[in-house]
Amino acid sequence: MGVLKAEPARAQDWAAKSVGAAWRAFDWQMTIFAVLLIGLGQAMAYSNTVAAGDAIFDPSSTFARGLIWTGFAVIAFVVTAAFDYKWLRTFAWPLYFVNLGLLAVTLAIGDGVSGAARWIPLGPFQFQFSELAKILMIIVLANYLASRQKTLDSIRTILGACLLVVPTAVLVVLQPDLGTSLVLGAILAGMLFMSGASARWLAVLGGLIVAAVPIAWTYLLRDYQKQRLLSFLDPSADPQGSGYQLIQSQIAVGSGGWFGKGLTNGTQNQLDFLPVQTTDFVYALLCEELGFLGAVLVLGLFVALIWRIVLTAWRSQDPFGLAMAAGIASMLLFQLIINVGMVIGVMPITGIPLPFITHGGASLISVAIGLGILQSINIRQTRAEW
Amino acid sequence: MVAPAIVDERPSRERQLIRFMAFGLAVLIGVSGLTARLVYLQFVRGEVYQARAEQNRSVAQAIPSTRGLIYDRRGHVLVSNEPSYAIKVRPSDLPLSKRDDVVTRLSALLGIPVADINMTIDSNPGSRFDLVRIAQDVPIATANLIAEERLELPGVEVAVESKRHYTYGPLLSQVIGYPGAIDAETLKALRDQGYLPDDLIGQAGVEASYESTLRGVYGQETIERDATGRKLQVLSTDREAQPGDSLVLTIDTKQQQLAQKAVVWAMRRAGLKRGVMIVENPQTGEILAMVSLPTYDDNKFAEGISRRDFQALLRNPEKPLLNHAINEQFPPGSTYKLVTGLGVLSDRKLGPTELVQTKAYIQLGPDKYWDWNRAGFGRLDIRSGFAHSSDTFFYQMAQRLGIQRLAYWAHQLGFGAKSGIGLPGEVPGIVPDNQWKQDIFGQPIFPGEVLQAGIGQGYDTVTPLQILNAYAALANGGKLLQPQIVREVVDADGTVVRPFAPKLLHRVKTSARNLEIMRLAARQVVTSRHTFNLVDVPIVIAGKTGTAEFGVRDSKGRLPFHNWFVAFVPKHGNVARPDSELAVIGFAYDSNTVGNVATEMVKYYLQMHFNVRHDYRLSYLLNRGNFYGGN
Repeated sequence: MGVLKAEPARAQDWAAKSVGAAWRAFDWQMTIFAVLLIGLGQAMAYSNTVAAGDAIFDPSSTFARGLIWTGFAVIAFVVTAAFDYKWLRTFAWPLYFVNLGLLAVTLAIGDGVSGAARWIPLGPFQFQFSELAKILMIIVLANYLASRQKTLDSIRTILGACLLVVPTAVLVVLQPDLGTSLVLGAILAGMLFMSGASARWLAVLGGLIVAAVPIAWTYLLRDYQKQRLLSFLDPSADPQGSGYQLIQSQIAVGSGGWFGKGLTNGTQNQLDFLPVQTTDFVYALLCEELGFLGAVLVLGLFVALIWRIVLTAWRSQDPFGLAMAAGIASMLLFQLIINVGMVIGVMPITGIPLPFITHGGASLISVAIGLGILQSINIRQTRAEW
Repeated sequence: MVAPAIVDERPSRERQLIRFMAFGLAVLIGVSGLTARLVYLQFVRGEVYQARAEQNRSVAQAIPSTRGLIYDRRGHVLVSNEPSYAIKVRPSDLPLSKRDDVVTRLSALLGIPVADINMTIDSNPGSRFDLVRIAQDVPIATANLIAEERLELPGVEVAVESKRHYTYGPLLSQVIGYPGAIDAETLKALRDQGYLPDDLIGQAGVEASYESTLRGVYGQETIERDATGRKLQVLSTDREAQPGDSLVLTIDTKQQQLAQKAVVWAMRRAGLKRGVMIVENPQTGEILAMVSLPTYDDNKFAEGISRRDFQALLRNPEKPLLNHAINEQFPPGSTYKLVTGLGVLSDRKLGPTELVQTKAYIQLGPDKYWDWNRAGFGRLDIRSGFAHSSDTFFYQMAQRLGIQRLAYWAHQLGFGAKSGIGLPGEVPGIVPDNQWKQDIFGQPIFPGEVLQAGIGQGYDTVTPLQILNAYAALANGGKLLQPQIVREVVDADGTVVRPFAPKLLHRVKTSARNLEIMRLAARQVVTSRHTFNLVDVPIVIAGKTGTAEFGVRDSKGRLPFHNWFVAFVPKHGNVARPDSELAVIGFAYDSNTVGNVATEMVKYYLQMHFNVRHDYRLSYLLNRGNFYGGN
C-alpha cells in the first residue's frame, strides 16, 4: 500500500491528451452548479454585511472575505483539477499524517470560540482544519478501499477503514467539534457502501452503532452538547437559552413566504434576531430573504450537483475515483440534510456548515479541492457509455 | 499450479447499480423531506411566523409625556425641564458571564461604585426584561462614549430624557420635592396607569402630591428594534403623549427668600439647626412662604443622587428631608393658650373682663403646678392673662373647661387633624381627651394632665402649620380655611384648569366679639413688652409666644425647649378688625437661648417684609442659656 512510486505511464497519458480533449471531458454542469451555489452564498454574505453595517469592500466584511476565499477556492479547484488524481494514491499516507498533525496543532493552539479550539489564525484569516480533514480523509479512505478491492466482502476491510477514521475523529471531537466527526462517519459509511463493501457487515455495524448511541450519550457528550442536541425537540422549553436560535430560525424561515422579503430586507437577519447568522444558520436567512423559491433553488442545485458527482463515480474507471466521488457526494448530502434540517427544526443543532452557503474559507476550499479532484477524474477518464 | 487469473478490478456493474440507486433514493427522500418541511413552515404556518417576525421586530413603547412645570404665584419658573442623558440596563440582555466586566466598565465611566450599580440592578422593581435606571443627567461625552461602546456593553442603553431643574434648589426643596426611582410597591399600584419600572416619580413636596397632575399621560408608539432591543425607528405613533399640567404655587419667591433669610440668621446666631417659618394670607389660606431648615438641594436628586449622599441625608439627625412645618409634631407651649382662652370665653366660663387670681402655683393633691415666673401676676383678665402668658391663669381656665371642651375648641381651631395643605406626609398632631387617653394608655385623663393640656404641654402636639392656621382663623374673624400651597393648575396651553378658590373648612363656633377679645389679647402680648421691643417696630403686630418643654431634664432639673412665635398683622393697623392679610409663624427647635429665638426671627422677617429701615433685632436674646425669657 503506502509505497511511494512514480507512475510515469499516467504522466504520459496526460501529456498525450490534447488540451481540447481535456476540456471536453471537463464537467461544466458540475462546475456551474457549484458556482451558482457560491453565488447564492455570496448574496447572503452581502446581505449580512449590510446587516452588520460594514462597508461592502471593507477587507473585514463577510462579503469581501467571501470574495477572497472564493478566489483561493478557484485556485485550489484549478490546481487540483489539473493535477492527476491518481498521484493522490501515492500521497495518501503522507496526507493522512499531515492531516493528523494539523488537527493536533489546532488542538494545541486553536483560537477559542465559545470554549472550543477549532480555528487556527492564518495571517489575517482563520482556518478550520477540521474542514480540510474531511477531504483528506476522503482521499485516504479512497486509496485504502481501492487497494482492498478483493477483500471488500470481508469485515476486516470495513474495520480497517473504521480504524483509519478513528484518530481523525477523536482529534476532531476533542476540539470539540461533534458535527465534523459525524460528517466523517457519514463519509465513511457512504464510501464503504458505494464501493461495494459487504452489505451484511455494514448492516451489522450500523446496528451496533445505533445500540451504542445511549452509551455515547451518557459518557462522551458534554452537557452543552446534549442540551443543544435535545433543544430542537422542544425549543420553547428554553426560549431565551438553547431554544432561542431554533425559534428565531424557524421564524426567519416561516416568515419568508413564496418570494421572501428581498435581499437585505429580512428583519430577522438585519435586526440581529438570529445569532450566528453568518455561519451555521445562514440558510434560515436565505429562506427569509429569498423565500421558498430561493430555498428550493438551493436544494435543487445541491441535488443537481450531487447528481453530477454520482455520475462521475459511475463513470470512473477505477475504484479510487469511485470512492472519491462517493465520499464527496456523501459529505455534501449529509451536510445538506443536517444543516438545513437544523435550520428548519427537524435536526438537532450540531454546528455543521452548509457547503458553499455558510461563510467559511476552510469549508469552501475543502469543497473546491474535492470538486477539483472530481474534475481531474472526469478529465482523465474516457467517457463512459452510460 | 494454476496461473493467477486475470481479474477485472472493476466490481460488477449489476451489484453497484442497486447501491447507486439506493444513494439516489436517499438524496431524493432527504431533499423531499426538507422541501416538505419548508412548505409546512413557509406556507402552512407562514402567517404565524410572519406575525412573529413582525412582533419580534416591532414593539410597543411608551412615549414619555412632558412633565408639567411649576411656577410661583408671580409666574417665576421654579421647576423646568432640561434634556439630559440617562444610562439604563436591561438585565435580560446582559449575559451573566459579562456582567462583571460591564458593571466595572460602567463604574469607571460613570464614577459610581460597582457595588451601587449591582445593588441598583438587583433591586430593580420590574422584570429582567425591563430597563433599570443606573445613572441620570450623565454628561454628553460620557453618554457618547457609552453609546459607542455598545458592543462591549451589552444590555446597556443610553436614553435621552428630560431632567427636572429646580431654579432655586434648597430654597424650596421641601415644598417642591424631587423625582426618584419608582419602588416595587408603588409600581405595582400604578402599573395600570402606565408607569414603567424605570420611571421617575415625585418623591416629596408637590412633585409627589401632584404627581398625577404633573405627569400627564404617556403615549404609545410602535418602534422597530433589533435583537438587543435598540430602537431603530418609529413605525407608528399609536397614541400621542399628553403633557402634564403645570402648577402655580401660592408661594411668593421673594417672601420665601426673606423668610429663609430670617430663619438662617436666627439659626446661625443661636447656633441652632432646625427652624421653621411659614407665612400665610389669613383671608385666603394661601401659603406665601414655607421654610424648613436644614434643607437640601433637590437638584441633587434630579441629577441622580449617589447612594452615599442619600444615606447621609437620611442619617442626618436634623432630618433635612422632612418638612418640619408639617411632617413633624411638637408641643405647642403657650401658643396653645388661644384654644383655652377662646374656649373659656365661648363656653361662657369666663367673662370678657372677669378677673382671675394668678398664683405662684396651683396645688393639685401633692403636686404643685407652677406659673412660669414662679410668683404669679396678681389678678388678671383674659387679655392680660394672655399677654403675660400666665400659666396659673390658664390652668384655672382649663379646669373650668374640662378636657372634653378643651379638645372640642382645639378641633374647632384645626388641631388634631391634617390641614389638607396638599403636601405629602402631613401629621395630624395630638389633641388629648378622655377617649384618646383611654385608647392609648387605658386610663382616664388625670386632673393634672388637664392643666398641662390647657397650656400646650403634656400630650398636646401640633405642627407649626396648625398653629399658624389657627391664628389665621383668629385674624380673619373665625374662618378656618384650608391652607393651600398650589394656587392654580394650568394646562400646557396656559389655560387655567383649576382656578384658585379659598376653601373654608368651617367657621369657628364662637362670636365675633370673643375673637376680637383674643385679637386684642394677642396685640397686648406685644404692647406689654412681653416680646421686648417688638412693639417699637413701626407696624401693628399681634401675636403669641410659646416656650414648649420637651425631652429629658438636665442635671439642674431643667427641660430643653422649643421657641414659638406666631403673629399676624392687621391690614389697617387695627387688630379689632378681622382684615389681616399676613400671618407668620416662627419655630426654633431645641432653642435653649436666653430669649425667644422665634420672636426675633419673625421680627426680622416683618422688618424686611415692610421695608423697615431700622433694625430692631436683639441679638443678645439669642445667646445660649436656659432662661424662660418669655413663656
